[in-house]
Amino acid sequence: MNCEHCQEVISVFLDNELDEMSSDSVREHLAVCEECSKVCEDLAMIMDFCQLEADETVIPPNPQALWCRINNVIESEVQAEIYKENKEKIQIAEAEQQQTGWLPRRWNFSFMQVASAVLGIAIISSVLTIVGIRNYTSPNNDLSSVNSEPTLFEKVLGKVGLMETPQAKRARIIKERETAIDYWNKRVEARRTQWNTNLRDAFDRNLNEINQAVSEYTLILEENPQDELSGEMLDSALNDKMELLREFSEL
Amino acid sequence: MILKVVKFLKSSATIKTTILLSVVFFFASFAAQEFSAQKRFSKTYSASKNVRLQLTNRTGTVTVEGWDKDQIQISAYLEAPAANIEPQSLSGTILINVVKDNQGRNEVGNVNFLIKVPRTSTVDIETRMGNLNVSNVQGTLVRAHISSEGDITLTNIGASNVSAENVIGDIFYDGDVQQNGNYRFISTRGNINLRIPFNAGFKLVATAPSTRNIALGAFSNGNMKFVGDGRRVIGQSGDGSATVTVTNQRGSISFIRR
Repeated sequence: MNCEHCQEVISVFLDNELDEMSSDSVREHLAVCEECSKVCEDLAMIMDFCQLEADETVIPPNPQALWCRINNVIESEVQAEIYKENKEKIQIAEAEQQQTGWLPRRWNFSFMQVASAVLGIAIISSVLTIVGIRNYTSPNNDLSSVNSEPTLFEKVLGKVGLMETPQAKRARIIKERETAIDYWNKRVEARRTQWNTNLRDAFDRNLNEINQAVSEYTLILEENPQDELSGEMLDSALNDKMELLREFSEL
Repeated sequence: MILKVVKFLKSSATIKTTILLSVVFFFASFAAQEFSAQKRFSKTYSASKNVRLQLTNRTGTVTVEGWDKDQIQISAYLEAPAANIEPQSLSGTILINVVKDNQGRNEVGNVNFLIKVPRTSTVDIETRMGNLNVSNVQGTLVRAHISSEGDITLTNIGASNVSAENVIGDIFYDGDVQQNGNYRFISTRGNINLRIPFNAGFKLVATAPSTRNIALGAFSNGNMKFVGDGRRVIGQSGDGSATVTVTNQRGSISFIRR
């Protein structure tokens, strides 16, 4: 028997499953061959150890419990992983927050930008509120208000040009009316030489009457610019004057 | 001597008779001249009940009266130099514009109109100078506008929209104040007198800034209040559905119970 053949059958030999003749041949070879003898010893030790382990696990395995344990192990490992990831994220977020304040990174504005936005919103909302209040209360104001002192806020808005004060509005309307009056007056001057005396006299009388009313209201408004009723009457008188000139310019 | 006296008396009577006759002839001829100087224009249109009359006059008096016929009858008395008048009938509207029809003419005399319209007509009249009178009209709108001076008299009016405006002259309104109607009376100098039903429902804004002479009469109640040192009255009478606006820059305002 050579070494190769011996090592092929050595496992069967150790299990006592080899026939007698072959077993004798193996024994003879092991006696003379140190290498195969060593292999045989190693294999015998392994087999002994396995035999011992097999003796210890005599309890029949429970597959359900086994899977439960495996599952618990897997879950605990997964949860540990998730916990670890979350912890990392929180640490990153905390680090970002410390860097940028309470806003997320994409809402990161400079102080000037934020201040401008706040100021803009404040102005717009204030103007809208004032306009809304004025519109809401304007019918009553038109009828009953006589003296309306502008509020401090209205004055400020008027100063910065964001809001037209009643006085500024009146001045603008008067200017517009006077421009129209000048235009129609020139047309009347061109026509009046062709009128008869009665018509000329009547025109002058009526124009003089309206001019007196205009002077009266202008004087009152110089003393009390907040007198809305006089402002309204002045506007009405100027309108009457314009209509008189316009209608007589057709004659 | 007796004969001389008789002769003198006879000659004296003849002279007197002659003088008298001369005076009579003189005035008669003057009157005839005046009569011949005033021309008359007259035209009648058949019209629906809700016809609109729109008249723009230069100078003269305009009188519009409602009647029960479905016709518009226009009569105009033209003082010398006589104006041109060319009324137009356009889809339910009778248009007369004396200003436009005489544009470019230097001398045009007064035109005095007497116009009769169906009671439910819409009446919109204006003149540059002269009186405007409207009576017995119950249409949708009555508007009377005088560019300068003249009185406006609106009597027995039943319109839901009424507007009267002049510079110098009185305004008198005697009529209804209908629900949701709009009534506007504006003058610079004159007296504005409004005679309206006591049970009328309206919101009032009456302003007489110069005189502060606003007499509410029977309409004076807790809902009416004077503001602006008595220059204006605001308030409500009845249900307040109609709107009455009265402004008299340098004159008075009075309300009279109808």
